[in-house]
Amino acid sequence: MSYQVKLEVFEGPLDLLLHLINRLEIDIYDIPMAELTAQYIEHLQTMRVLQLDELSEYLVLAATLLEIKSKMLLPVHEGEVFDDELDYDMEEDPRDELVARLIEYRKYKEAATSLKESAAERSVHFTKSPADLSEFGEVVPSHSEEPLNVFDLIGAFQKMLNRKRLKAPLTAHISKVEISVGEKMDEILATLERGGGKCDFYSLFEKGDTPELVVTFLSLLELMKRREIIVEQHHNFEDLTVSFKREED
Amino acid sequence: MENDARLAGMIESFLFIAGDEGLSVEQLTILTECQEEHVLAAIERLRTSYDERNDSGITLKLLGGTYRLVTKAEFADDLTRLLENPTPKSMTQASLEVLAIIAYKQPVTRVEIDDLRGVKSEGPISTLIAKGLIMEKGRSEGSGRAILYGTTDLFLDRFGLESLERLPPLLQEEEDEAGETDLFMTKFQEAFAMENDEGGDDL
Repeated sequence: MSYQVKLEVFEGPLDLLLHLINRLEIDIYDIPMAELTAQYIEHLQTMRVLQLDELSEYLVLAATLLEIKSKMLLPVHEGEVFDDELDYDMEEDPRDELVARLIEYRKYKEAATSLKESAAERSVHFTKSPADLSEFGEVVPSHSEEPLNVFDLIGAFQKMLNRKRLKAPLTAHISKVEISVGEKMDEILATLERGGGKCDFYSLFEKGDTPELVVTFLSLLELMKRREIIVEQHHNFEDLTVSFKREED
Repeated sequence: MENDARLAGMIESFLFIAGDEGLSVEQLTILTECQEEHVLAAIERLRTSYDERNDSGITLKLLGGTYRLVTKAEFADDLTRLLENPTPKSMTQASLEVLAIIAYKQPVTRVEIDDLRGVKSEGPISTLIAKGLIMEKGRSEGSGRAILYGTTDLFLDRFGLESLERLPPLLQEEEDEAGETDLFMTKFQEAFAMENDEGGDDL
């Protein structure tokens, strides 16, 4: 029997195991360990490609499955006193613990589904923020019997964020100003023109964000390469001066 | 009768002002200066009248212990026309599972949640705290004094629950018990049959 692996997201090894049990239509109270273990490990092999962070947790369960499987392969001692065999059958099925975990997990998995439904039912009822009565006078603070804690603060912060979001304009246009090296070069030349053919190196870097500063620097280099400007420093640690490259140079 | 109607109206006006903060019965008794039973009766009266009236878009709900005026479900679709890009806020399956475990087993430690899910749950827990749906409810007595988590009133609100007692009962439980009994019975019967067989051999 081949099992087609569909890439689904599992919430952990137990979730995967439940999925396999459903898919293979296995009775959860009587799990055929060999088959389930084989399918589980086959699935892990596929998942390894995905490099899931939780792979280690999946491997722990794989080890558990193998352990149970091998325990079940141990021969049942025949000819022993009957009572022992009864005990083995009734209490020491190696699968018991796993089944209990699966059932417990399934319970909460289903509770999660029903919670999701109640959230959906709730979400069709809208409400509004409390009215602001402050313009009519000071509002009586609503008294609370329990002292406030950090979680009330988190709650208040959440509400503030929500209200801020509601007050935000419906549409906003964000455009990025991009300056090309060419434009910046013209700008630098214009600055030099205004400054009578000279300007302070640092004054060119007074405005703009990081990308713009980078562009300014690149433009300076480009202008120097094209022999249009010259950057001079007369003494150590003195400010740099940018000026037009004189024709005679 | 006259007074009852007035009280219902008064409560309605308080609830209108309170908005999504809502008001608890205790707060309403203080505000209306009436006895709790009268307040509860007036609330019931309001609720019935809202639900009976077709020309009202509002109804009353008890969410997380406070009463609020909310819009009726039947207008939800119409109201979404106010939204530019209506996207239902959905939680991840992991968060929902963790939330379910905390809701039903609270107060509960992270380790218990991890064990139950067979996978680490730190991420979903911090998301749920940030969303204000769960909070620390003290420390466990055991070694390490692990943090105990529980749900908040906001959780009740977001999931339309009046109180924690109103959580839907966990499914499966009865069925599982029945299953286990069945299993027990089958094993018992098998064992019984075997005993009879063996008994026969001995004789």
